[in-house]
Amino acid sequence: MHTVRRILLRLLVGVGVLWGAATMTFLAVYLIPGDTALLILGGPDARPTAETIAQVRSDYLLDEPFIVQYAGYLGNLFQGDLGQSYRLRIPVSEAIGQQIGATGMLAAAATVLALPLTFAVAVLSAQRSNWVRSLVSGVEVVLAATPTFIIGFALLIVFSFTLQWFPIGGDNGFSALVLPALTLALAVFGTLSQVFRNELEDVLEQPFILTARARGMRDLPVRVLHAVRHAAIPVMTLSGFVVASLLGGSVIVETLFSRQGIGALTLASVYNKDLPVIIGIVLLCAAVYVVVNLIIDLLYTLIDPKVVTA
Amino acid sequence: MINSALHPAQNSPRPPRRIAVLTSLLVATLMSGCSASANPAADPAAVPVSGGILDVSISAEPGCLDGHGISATQQQFLGRLIYDNVVTLDDDGEIAPYLAESWEISDDGKTYTFHLKEGVTFSDGSPWNAEVLGQNFEHMRDPATKSPLAAAYIAPYVDGTVIDEYTFEAHLEYAYTPFLYTLAQSWLGMNSGKAIEESPETLCQEPIGTGPFTVADYRPGQGISYTKREGYDWAPEWLEGDGEAYLDGVEVTLVSEPVIRHQSLVSGQYDLTENLAPQNAAAVQENPAFEYQNLIRGGSPNVLSFNLNRAPFDDLAVRQAFVAAVDTQAVAESLGFGTYSPTDSFLSTASKYYDPTVEGTLEYDLDRANELLDEAGWTERDSDGFRIKDGERLVIEVPTVESTTPSPLLVQLQGEARKAGFDLQIIQLPQAQLSELRYAGDYDALAGVWHTNTTDVLFIRYHSSEITGERIGQNSSYVDDPALDDLLRTAREADDGPIAEDAYSEVQHRLLDIVPGLPLYENHSQFAYSTAVQDVAVDTSHPVPVLTYAWKAE
Repeated sequence: MHTVRRILLRLLVGVGVLWGAATMTFLAVYLIPGDTALLILGGPDARPTAETIAQVRSDYLLDEPFIVQYAGYLGNLFQGDLGQSYRLRIPVSEAIGQQIGATGMLAAAATVLALPLTFAVAVLSAQRSNWVRSLVSGVEVVLAATPTFIIGFALLIVFSFTLQWFPIGGDNGFSALVLPALTLALAVFGTLSQVFRNELEDVLEQPFILTARARGMRDLPVRVLHAVRHAAIPVMTLSGFVVASLLGGSVIVETLFSRQGIGALTLASVYNKDLPVIIGIVLLCAAVYVVVNLIIDLLYTLIDPKVVTA
Repeated sequence: MINSALHPAQNSPRPPRRIAVLTSLLVATLMSGCSASANPAADPAAVPVSGGILDVSISAEPGCLDGHGISATQQQFLGRLIYDNVVTLDDDGEIAPYLAESWEISDDGKTYTFHLKEGVTFSDGSPWNAEVLGQNFEHMRDPATKSPLAAAYIAPYVDGTVIDEYTFEAHLEYAYTPFLYTLAQSWLGMNSGKAIEESPETLCQEPIGTGPFTVADYRPGQGISYTKREGYDWAPEWLEGDGEAYLDGVEVTLVSEPVIRHQSLVSGQYDLTENLAPQNAAAVQENPAFEYQNLIRGGSPNVLSFNLNRAPFDDLAVRQAFVAAVDTQAVAESLGFGTYSPTDSFLSTASKYYDPTVEGTLEYDLDRANELLDEAGWTERDSDGFRIKDGERLVIEVPTVESTTPSPLLVQLQGEARKAGFDLQIIQLPQAQLSELRYAGDYDALAGVWHTNTTDVLFIRYHSSEITGERIGQNSSYVDDPALDDLLRTAREADDGPIAEDAYSEVQHRLLDIVPGLPLYENHSQFAYSTAVQDVAVDTSHPVPVLTYAWKAE
């Protein structure tokens, strides 16, 4: 009962977050100067006729005052209608639907690579001799600080241009997924691994670890069976960062590797001021955050029953 | 014409249709044992092979595949795959039959009677006939189509009459010789009348034409899969082929990063790229496994247009001084890595009626630039070295679209202009704001290019009726010159021939007196493909590859 109420409360807050996100984005895009009707009609090199411009203005409520446009938008949103893309001329839900699978696959592949890598590196390098820690930590800092674009490009130069092990971008099958997923995974790994190791090192100083060792337990089981669980919670708090990295990174990775996906759609939509799609994507991201946070919240309790969140 | 570039573009207005392939020539010579006199273009050993999928990378994706609804450059190439046009331009750039077998034009130039080809069908099974032609005109100008280009091209079209099943009479408001030329452009391909009537809103995502390929799968932002149209048998004569395409299909993938487009072509991941960045041209040209083409698009070359409505460019001397201050050859060389042809004309050398006698007038001469500015009263210089007059600095505001790196062209021009004391300021703005600024005329100069297959581009760019007012126009220089207007009107209404030729020649010379901008370099179409791909034809409307009878050697 208690858990159900907690979930419902969380979901209610989530709806508020979504409304806020929709409003903020609508406002932000509305305030960018420039005539949207002209933009829809092809920008500076187009020669639209006056009738065409008038049609676009009335179709998209562009000649209405802000409050009418906003009310119209929210009204449709409540009915689950995200509107029609200016650029693609299809419903926004369809435009996002076409792309979400590709990004989901990329994000999943990146996570599958990043988590075991983080786990292995952090567990094996915590409380080791100084040079091991400096080396590993150095690599992590470099990866965390390097823009995703550079990581991706470096991987392309080594593995595609030079060694030709993997295709240079594209969407064709598993081999085309490896480098983009690795790019995203490395970007996430650097930060996650740093935090995880620091936590592990704290935990490994705790008396209960000493007790375990005193019982004759070997080093690796101590780390994996006892320390990891305690160090996991702060790392899970970072899942928001992970989701942000995966979504934000997809914009760069999908462009660099010529892949389909939400990232590529975001870029094209922002560039073309495709307002309905931009808001749709922001709402999608907000929804993903809400759901991920809810899941993490529940997981906290599962990992450590002492934790009770409101 | 100044053209001493390292890898000069073909300056001929008539690019070769078939491109000689080195390897096939070698094979032919070895197999037949014949001498080097074998003509590679008519290589007897190269018997087309049917089958295979051609993998193509493109630099941008229009978001909509219905040519009537977009103005994207890529449509020049993509449109040819799925659409046929009413007419076409043949090897010599002359109007030739396509979906219309013949036509008559009334003496007043206002009535066009088209006799359409019989037996042509769309890929949805519906027929091509006079009624469908009328539906296409209506679809182009229907505000719901949101046409940024096609509607303006057929603006003089008033209405049409279906005389019989295959005869259509189009009525124009005034004589408009460019009409047939525009009908040959990729953006004005013919859509299925059935689809226009039943579901016009689906044409963007599922376009239906009569062309040699059909769209099998469109993944916006990613790619387009095309399959061969079974039973296709109405290609224009200049394609020198019959029946269906040889390729089973074409797989088009969006690869927006230029370096990736180059690398993935060289690695064999793609057979052809529709847009090769100039910095990669030399490498591909030297690679014997690839065929590289650098062709010039017709229309307006790259020009920095001056705003004649506003100080300081309302002063002819300042315009002349700016033109004399910029070493366009150096600019073209550096931006195009030797692949761009510098120009000093307002009309592309690839356009019909291009008059070579205009060359050499707008020349780089820094001393002359300084003299002109001194005479115009911009005598003093401030502490930064920029000229001033009545306490005002000689500022040139050039808005451009926002990006992480400012336009390399404008940065170059900034440096060039500074030598004569111009303070060229690059103003970076989001696309939407730029469009608005442009239509408001709130700028000193704008860099731009305008491709079209008709010399009417000079009307579009420089006739006073094309100044943005109630209607959006492309005369961004605000040229308003009655003598020029008369000449442009005469040229537009005259049939192709000496009258048009003389008028267009006078127009080009008149523009040298007005100096509405600084001509920079030609509008280039650079593409490359593996030598395994043969018989890639090139269109004279738009110099892009046409794959109707291209084939892939095993």
